[in-house]
Amino acid sequence: MDKRTDTYLMVLIAAGALLLSLFLQDAYLRSVLNVMAISALLATSLRFVMLMGELNFALAAFTGIGAYCAGYLNTALDVPFGIGVLLAGLVAALASAAFGAITLRAKGPYFLLIGFAFTEAVRVAYSKFGALGGTSGMVGIFPARALDDWMPFIVMCVVVVLLVAFYIAEHSDFGRILFAIRENEDVARSVGINTYLCKVIAISGACFAAGVAGGLHAFVNNVISPGDFSYLLAAFALAYVKVGGEGYFLGPIVGAVLLVALSSYALGLGGDEHFLYGGAIIIAVLLMPKGVLGAAGYLRSRGTSAKRRVDANAH
Amino acid sequence: MQTFIQLGATALQIGAVYILFSLGLTLIFGVMRIVNFVHGHIFAVAALIVAYILPPLAAGGLSAPVAYVLASIAGIAVALGLGALLYFFGFRYFQRDLVGSFILSIGFVLLLDGVLLHLFGGAVRGVPEIFPGRVSIAGAQITVQRLFLCAVALVMAGVLYWALGHTRLGKALRAVSYDHEAAMMVGVPYARIAFLGFMIASLLAAIAGVLLAPVTIVSPVIGTDYLIKGFIAVIIGGLGSVPGAILGSLFVASIETFGSYYLDSSYATLAIFGMVIVVLLFWPKGVLGRG
Repeated sequence: MDKRTDTYLMVLIAAGALLLSLFLQDAYLRSVLNVMAISALLATSLRFVMLMGELNFALAAFTGIGAYCAGYLNTALDVPFGIGVLLAGLVAALASAAFGAITLRAKGPYFLLIGFAFTEAVRVAYSKFGALGGTSGMVGIFPARALDDWMPFIVMCVVVVLLVAFYIAEHSDFGRILFAIRENEDVARSVGINTYLCKVIAISGACFAAGVAGGLHAFVNNVISPGDFSYLLAAFALAYVKVGGEGYFLGPIVGAVLLVALSSYALGLGGDEHFLYGGAIIIAVLLMPKGVLGAAGYLRSRGTSAKRRVDANAH
Repeated sequence: MQTFIQLGATALQIGAVYILFSLGLTLIFGVMRIVNFVHGHIFAVAALIVAYILPPLAAGGLSAPVAYVLASIAGIAVALGLGALLYFFGFRYFQRDLVGSFILSIGFVLLLDGVLLHLFGGAVRGVPEIFPGRVSIAGAQITVQRLFLCAVALVMAGVLYWALGHTRLGKALRAVSYDHEAAMMVGVPYARIAFLGFMIASLLAAIAGVLLAPVTIVSPVIGTDYLIKGFIAVIIGGLGSVPGAILGSLFVASIETFGSYYLDSSYATLAIFGMVIVVLLFWPKGVLGRG
């Protein structure tokens, strides 16, 4: 797939998703579409940090911080939807910058495990604040009445804008620095790149998106509780990335759409979400290490080479 | 003073379980360089099997300790079988691949969550008392069961510590965790050592599970809580370090016990996390870690 068809394909997908969100009428399908969009954003945020070789398991905590921030601003201070979601992203970005500045001094396993512990600690913290609704969570987070019919379209617009931003960042010089950090951080440092600063910037950018996703989740669901933001949220995002294909920008998006559709279907049949996601991760990791997109690309390249062989035989 | 001793005794009991847990985590990390999130489920499987088959065995006329020993052997056997399955159908292919092995272990965690809930149901179950009675040590009251738990955990930790320093297998495990390529060069069979390290760690988790079954309420999700605390202990002590895991476990257990008594259990959890941040600020690789 060369670069230009790649870009056309993405524009086509984005336009299709926006049109779908405008014209879809069924209430249940609209909610599934919202979940898909928010999940795709979270998975892309996780993959962005994976570009520099770190697994950001604190993603769930920052999504929760965004959601609670938007929820509190809306219910207690009557801040409108747009500003609430924007502030949710900013607060999550600031919190993650502080978190990253401390934890990114440690690498690999330590960073990952601290993220895991942080998620659980933040979850305990929500339940200690009466203003945040304690263990039962917050209710009644509504966007303005006029926006109600347009919510899927608005959610999709926000998600598309942020995904485009991720795409641009990944293909910019900054994205190349992240690749360099993953391959060999010492070499990157030796040519004068402040890798520590770049890592903190990368994680706060990714967590801005996570905070926005959390804010959208709060307004779409109208109800949030500490249980929504356990480490499972990050585990599911990881499933989207792995199933879709970690090496492709579209990977997490394809993974989110596939798995959310599958799990909505399975839940309708009374299936178990954990079972499905766990099985999907194991199959993806063991049998399709490059995900669905990688497997599709492999099949296509085999197909074209087989066709070429046939052509050569004909001559 | 008496409160203090009582709290200290409680901290030691909780710490003993964390020690068994974190020793397994640190051993697996040292030998295979993987972060094993399924460790908690190996523990949970052992505890669940004991909780499931002990009441019928005891009702069948066996005396409580005999029934417990039989149930424990069954629990440990099943947990070890699960560990071997996980190794052969998964972790074997992901040694020294931190992110890959972690993703795989999260997949196993989700899958086993579903399987355990299906098999055992979500209800919590209690196990009848095995060793009745309590003893008084320096004014602190301790049930015999918890004393037994503590003693076994500390003996296991001692045996592991001794074995790592003095047996051929222990030396091989240490050599692999320092530098696996150099170890292979002098003839250490890496694949077999990695498997044995994984199984020893699973055995420790299974023992923790059967020891804990009679003194707590058992449910399919019991592993996660211990897993988090075990990992925090290992982070504080340093991944791959055996003394670090022991000290970290006792430290986490003390904060948890004293914090819960004087403040509140959720503040104790927050305090533990605060400690981790402080430790990382000064020792980014844990107090005794070499990363």
